[in-house]
Amino acid sequence: MEPSHRWIEHTAELQLELHARSEAAIFSQAVLALRELLEDDGPVTGDRAERSVEVEATDRGALLAEWLAELVFLAETEGLVPDEARDLVVGEDSVTAVVVGRTSEPRHLVKAVTYHDLELHRDRDGWRGNVVLDV
Amino acid sequence: MSEPVRIDDTLWEIPADARDDMRVPARIFASADLLKAIRTDHSLEQLQNVATLPGIVDAAIAMPDIHQGYGFPVGGLAATAPPDGVVSPGGVGYDINCGVRLLAAPFTHGEIDARRRGALVDAIARRVPTGAGKGGRLRLSGSDLDEVLVQGPRWLVERRGVGTAEDVAATESEGRLDGADPDRVSERARERGAGQLGTAGSGNHFIELQRVEEVIDRETAAAFGLRRGQVTVLIHSGSRGLGHQVCTDYVRAMDAALDGHGIVLPDRQLSCAPLDSDEGRAYLAAMAAAANFAWANRHAIAHGIREAIAEVLGAGAADGTRQVYDVAHNVAKLEEHGGRTVCVHRKGATRAFPGQPVFIPGSMGTASYVLAGREGSMERSFGTVCHGAGRRLSRTAAKQQVKGEALRRELEAQGIAVRAASTKGLAEEAPIAYKDVDAVVRVVEDAGLAGRVARLRPIGVVKG
Repeated sequence: MEPSHRWIEHTAELQLELHARSEAAIFSQAVLALRELLEDDGPVTGDRAERSVEVEATDRGALLAEWLAELVFLAETEGLVPDEARDLVVGEDSVTAVVVGRTSEPRHLVKAVTYHDLELHRDRDGWRGNVVLDV
Repeated sequence: MSEPVRIDDTLWEIPADARDDMRVPARIFASADLLKAIRTDHSLEQLQNVATLPGIVDAAIAMPDIHQGYGFPVGGLAATAPPDGVVSPGGVGYDINCGVRLLAAPFTHGEIDARRRGALVDAIARRVPTGAGKGGRLRLSGSDLDEVLVQGPRWLVERRGVGTAEDVAATESEGRLDGADPDRVSERARERGAGQLGTAGSGNHFIELQRVEEVIDRETAAAFGLRRGQVTVLIHSGSRGLGHQVCTDYVRAMDAALDGHGIVLPDRQLSCAPLDSDEGRAYLAAMAAAANFAWANRHAIAHGIREAIAEVLGAGAADGTRQVYDVAHNVAKLEEHGGRTVCVHRKGATRAFPGQPVFIPGSMGTASYVLAGREGSMERSFGTVCHGAGRRLSRTAAKQQVKGEALRRELEAQGIAVRAASTKGLAEEAPIAYKDVDAVVRVVEDAGLAGRVARLRPIGVVKG
């Protein structure tokens, strides 16, 4: 199964559903989903940049929320449009990675990553994540 | 989902016994038609979830512009009683003190031709950055930011000569919530917000140039300084990245502390803590700081608009531009209601104390309203009314039905000058995405919560 994501209809916000064979691939796919949002008005160009990232949480869903929140923070404060997460390690209560991307002035709608309908768990085909973004 | 029972022409109720975990009823101010629209998403289920909060009093209350949110619905309120009643960051939302400010210019629509109107919209777009993450022109040191978090716009007037004391006086709570503590605002929140003072942001935030199309209540309009044909400017923005991060920080902290407080919730985004707990007090102090930042932000935006008016129409026109009022529609405040102190969470809902100006933005291309609060709001809704037209379509659905460029041409053909940082963003906020603002406002008037004073028609829009 190829990792994938889709945006689900929500009246005011954006609901992101992620599927992948492994838990780590969910986190990688989340990077691609956020990049898609940041490049909603077209591809952005910029200088290459890398940032070491570490997030912590006490459960799987919150770990996914914190990971996305970190990417949102980097996009807003540094204009980082992420392309991939290298050296990604998903631990019991933390995720570490080097986020590689480009610095630009991306349009980004995301104000925050909510805890509403937050999920990250195994399903029949692998792993499934669900998160609602405040935009 | 339980069936709402009709109480009167504008009020419906889902009784508290509809679900085992509800502590109070869920009440909805709506017409039959609006209720039908409201029931197409999860708004009412979310309202029932709010009715489970510890210490909630009277009812979880929805306004006619309610739509599905995350955790709390957007367009509702909940009052909780100390000490065991809770405060919920999600009941305020990520955009703490998102709100609207109305400026009234000394000139009429007829006195500025289309060329100067376009030039004015251009000048506003140059002076007020829009779009996400765009930095503002006001630079603040760390200690300056602390002062803004504690004092709000008053500091900008006294220390930077931005705006006037009259502007501050014409602001809800005079632009300053007591108890703000910068030490309760994280470094990350400060980093996100420090450069964003005086910026509108993206999403549904905007600056709209308008004309007073109709005066409905002549006496109150005169008291608010509004007359037919007059040009007004409506500013819709909030606390930007600083507020977003404050909410993020405290949703996380309260989520982690739920077990310790013995609180069980139907939705994690409702995470909360007793008002009289370490987490509750810390959040209220940080939220007040973010609210003060938001008032300072709209104050700085208004200053940029006056500069734009001065550039295009002269200093006299700018000096004569008065602030009618500024109201928050995402905030939690300790207020006296029914003889006791309660914490009123307004999430997409506006304070409407009797006689107070209230502004209800419609959508681009439709009308906005100036209302005045009425006694009924104190009796029925903790001094609260709606905050807008309320979304009807998702952003994706709006983009499928409307193309940004076509919408821009259509609005321009109606005499509305449009400056948008994002064409897709424009389509997401198309008028078709919103409910009928006339119908929403009619309900709050019929319910006795507020009365219509004037209707405003857009003539220019600047958005992110």
